[in-house]
Amino acid sequence: MLKKLGNIAALAASLWLPLSASAAELTGVTDTEIHIAQWGPQTGPAAPWGSVARGTGMLFQMINDAGGIHGRKIVYHMFDDQYNPAKTVAGVKELVEKEPGIFAIASGVGTSPGLAVKDYLMERGIPWVGPAAGSLHWITPPQKALFAVYPLYADEAKLLVRHLVEKEGKKKIAIFYASDEYGENGHRGAVAELQRLGLTPAIEVSVNQADRDLKSHLLKLKESGADAVLMWVNPTHAVITLKTAAALQFSPQWATSSTLSDVPLMQTITGGLWKNIIFASFSELPDADVPTVTKYRAAFPKYAQQGERWGVFFMAGIGFVEPMVEGLRRAGRNLTRESFIAAMESIRDYKGVMGAISYGPGQRQGQRAVFLARTDDTGTKVTQLTPWTEVK
Amino acid sequence: MEFLGALPQVMFSGIAAGAVYALLALAMVIIYRTTEVLNFAQGDMAMMTTYVALAMIVGSGLPLYAAVPLALAFAAGLGAFAEFACLRRAKEPSVLGLIIITLGIEMIVFGFASWKWGGEPRDMPIPLSPYDGITAGGVIMSYLELITIAVAALTIGALFLFLNRSKAGLAMRATQQNRAVARLMGIRVRRVEMFAWALAAVVGGIAGLLVGPATTVEPYMMWEPMMKGFAAAVLGGMTSLPGAALGGAIIGIVENLFGYYVSTAFKSVVPFAAILLMLTVKPSGLLARHYVKKV
Amino acid sequence: MDMKRSYYEDLRLFDTLPLSLWLGVAVLALAAAPAVFGNYPLYVIGYIAINVIVALGLNVLVGYTGQISLGHAGFFAIGAYAVTMLANAGLPILPALLLAGLIAAAFGFLLGLPALRLEGPYLAVVTLGFGLTVETIFAKAAFFGGATGPAVPAFDLVLVPGFSREQNLYLLIVATAGLSLLAVRNLMHTRVGRAFVAIRDSDIAASCAGVDLTYYKTLAFAVSAFFTGLGGGLFAFHLGQVDPTTFNLMLSILFLAMVVIGGVGSILGSVLGAVVISLLNLKLKGLKMADFEQLPLIGHELAGFLGRNFMETGMANIQFIVYGTILVLIMLFEPLGLYGIWIRTKRYWRTWPF
Repeated sequence: MLKKLGNIAALAASLWLPLSASAAELTGVTDTEIHIAQWGPQTGPAAPWGSVARGTGMLFQMINDAGGIHGRKIVYHMFDDQYNPAKTVAGVKELVEKEPGIFAIASGVGTSPGLAVKDYLMERGIPWVGPAAGSLHWITPPQKALFAVYPLYADEAKLLVRHLVEKEGKKKIAIFYASDEYGENGHRGAVAELQRLGLTPAIEVSVNQADRDLKSHLLKLKESGADAVLMWVNPTHAVITLKTAAALQFSPQWATSSTLSDVPLMQTITGGLWKNIIFASFSELPDADVPTVTKYRAAFPKYAQQGERWGVFFMAGIGFVEPMVEGLRRAGRNLTRESFIAAMESIRDYKGVMGAISYGPGQRQGQRAVFLARTDDTGTKVTQLTPWTEVK
Repeated sequence: MEFLGALPQVMFSGIAAGAVYALLALAMVIIYRTTEVLNFAQGDMAMMTTYVALAMIVGSGLPLYAAVPLALAFAAGLGAFAEFACLRRAKEPSVLGLIIITLGIEMIVFGFASWKWGGEPRDMPIPLSPYDGITAGGVIMSYLELITIAVAALTIGALFLFLNRSKAGLAMRATQQNRAVARLMGIRVRRVEMFAWALAAVVGGIAGLLVGPATTVEPYMMWEPMMKGFAAAVLGGMTSLPGAALGGAIIGIVENLFGYYVSTAFKSVVPFAAILLMLTVKPSGLLARHYVKKV
Repeated sequence: MDMKRSYYEDLRLFDTLPLSLWLGVAVLALAAAPAVFGNYPLYVIGYIAINVIVALGLNVLVGYTGQISLGHAGFFAIGAYAVTMLANAGLPILPALLLAGLIAAAFGFLLGLPALRLEGPYLAVVTLGFGLTVETIFAKAAFFGGATGPAVPAFDLVLVPGFSREQNLYLLIVATAGLSLLAVRNLMHTRVGRAFVAIRDSDIAASCAGVDLTYYKTLAFAVSAFFTGLGGGLFAFHLGQVDPTTFNLMLSILFLAMVVIGGVGSILGSVLGAVVISLLNLKLKGLKMADFEQLPLIGHELAGFLGRNFMETGMANIQFIVYGTILVLIMLFEPLGLYGIWIRTKRYWRTWPF
């Protein structure tokens, strides 16, 4: 049976091979259009991150309304992958292989969906700018066509620990982290920085994605006598953490990542417990009065879908892709993947809603700097603690 | 506090968590022992109920004491409708087929709620600060936890009385034991089954309303409690009400003890290991009579 | 459904000439596919074929032996991890796949032991716990690569010289699915298969008739786990990545749905169920506001109503409502699932126009 199958396959192969090889390569660029794709979970457990992909959509709409880029409009193909890598691969392959193809991938939420398509994209030389996850996988080793924006989680953790020890005088720092890549990277960075400062963590507690009863976790943190806790979890767990901590009368200095930098959201969903929290931020704050942010905030009501919220991740969907737009502008009318990659490599200190972004030959981590901020005792006002800072 | 000093606190936390599992377990048991259906939609029906309460409090500005009964009435309607529209329509259903039907209901409810209210977590406002509580013997008990335990205990007690003392309870037990004979005795078994679904949805809804304020309200809020509730129901014997309550408490306590004293990493799977051990000794659960199949 | 007149008819591989012909056409079409199609259709067919393998395996347990499992994602994960780690250790791909299946089978045997005394919801909760435990252990242990999982080695097996990696992988997956189909079909016509069915219909009667329950129940678990592990191993290469969180309860439920929707205890049913659920999984998309606007007459009002009362950003969730409704409707109208629909259609046409 198998032999027969093999024979048939060989026969079919010999008949059809020349045909399939001659299929023209799809570049996703026509005279009037540039086709760009992104996946983002619109449903499922990761649905709150889906606003990244919708933010990108708003940026492209604004660009098209202003006349497009060198006479071409951007056609944006956003699809829902439910944070399920099997669906991400299917969606990406479908778009890339269908007329007229995909020129480049913009952002794309999540480490695991991204990893599932990384090799496929890189083998075909399809540019990919600004994956929405602060993972080391994008830049180790650096890929010709992959341009990362999101600063590394580990760097954020290091900066926070340094601040807690050196500026706040905290001695016993506990680490509370999600048991996924995001949490593990934050955990690793924090432990490394503590080691450099000659300290050890007061306690390291991990939390599973599905857990909704965090009392034993919080009891452990409390028993450790920590005076500061680095909280590297998702928004839902942050809410449960603060509520449980309040019930256990445990009030350390909380410090947390850019994932939880959406102060109005956190303030609402914690029911007002988001007080006196130190957090890292990878972008300008959504309510900041800087021109790079205000131009989008002003346009937001016109473009946003009903039910959308002007939050950090919606805005990050703009920020992760701004360098791509800059690259498309610099590449000029004669747009090929090579000219685009060369244009991307020429970007230095580009400043949009994110921190400064620079690329160069072999340099694929665009943004390294983050800053720290703190909410006040009412949880409504945010003060910046540090300027944009690079670790090391 | 030294090693064992935290024990009472951990036990209390375990009971507070277990109270919610017990309610969900009861809801599953009510349906299972009347209609022999494993209702995997229980958790998401509770989630929907919580959202409805939230919408009435935040959207319509109703006070809590008005919103909760209305939400529970909605739950009863939802449960009854699910039975009437789906389960009752099944022709010659197999056990597995019924499970798939409840999974289908679960998806529909889940899809509807996430469409209506979006995926972002929300806060359930209650007129109670999370900081408030009492301390007795070194154990910190927040009011919310105390209320959770009290409401669960009251619900369990009321259910127990209702199902064992009232005519409707008798009819439900009769339906479970022999559907055909119950029918011959003049019990409208279909109505009884619909009632069981409505009752279960209310009990599950209460669990949802207790989980909401302690955590967040979001489409996935009931997945983990629901799984634990299912485990608790099986632990207690799947047909036994006191068993379900006991099972909930045991699971809450076991996972909190393990989480605190051993590791938080495997906290959520430890109850299942405990169940496996228990079932190898008592294959029908803790409090159910061992059922031997007749040939 | 067709009457068998002699024992030898039951032993025949293909019942009728038309069936053999159609199967031949299907084999030819599947074999020719890599030369005709691009990467994406091959990916979809491969995904379906992997699910066919798993559904066949799960059907041995659920459909033929009458046990329930909510933990088959665990075996799937064991297969995926085993293949990855064995191939990383230098084992060639084919032996690694076979070994992965056997490792999964060993775990199936272990899970089969408590199943000797348990049934219904009790077995459901034990298998559910098994699936969750496997997922958690893989996600936690640094040995297994932690939260991101181990790196999957490149698929370097060449079945047809000149074919690309994707084309070779496709051929391997489809060939494995075909062989699994034959294997399960033949197994069910042997002494072992009849023992499984006897246990499903009444385990006490079976044991009275001399069927060793301990042996055959654990065997059913092991066989089922073997195919699921095999599917998991192929999935690791197919996705090029192993991520512990993909092997969750939802996946176990999907596997079970494939078997039940397809029709328990039928090989054709497993194939149909796997095809339908896989396609729903990959192809179902949420609607957009514009889709409502386009409806004639009521379109504009409906869109306005939905806009006022629902989240436009949550609109993609309509796919869950569609998915759930399809599951409910199939089970309501045809308890035998898609296989039942197939039987009815066949019977209708055979006796047409009467």
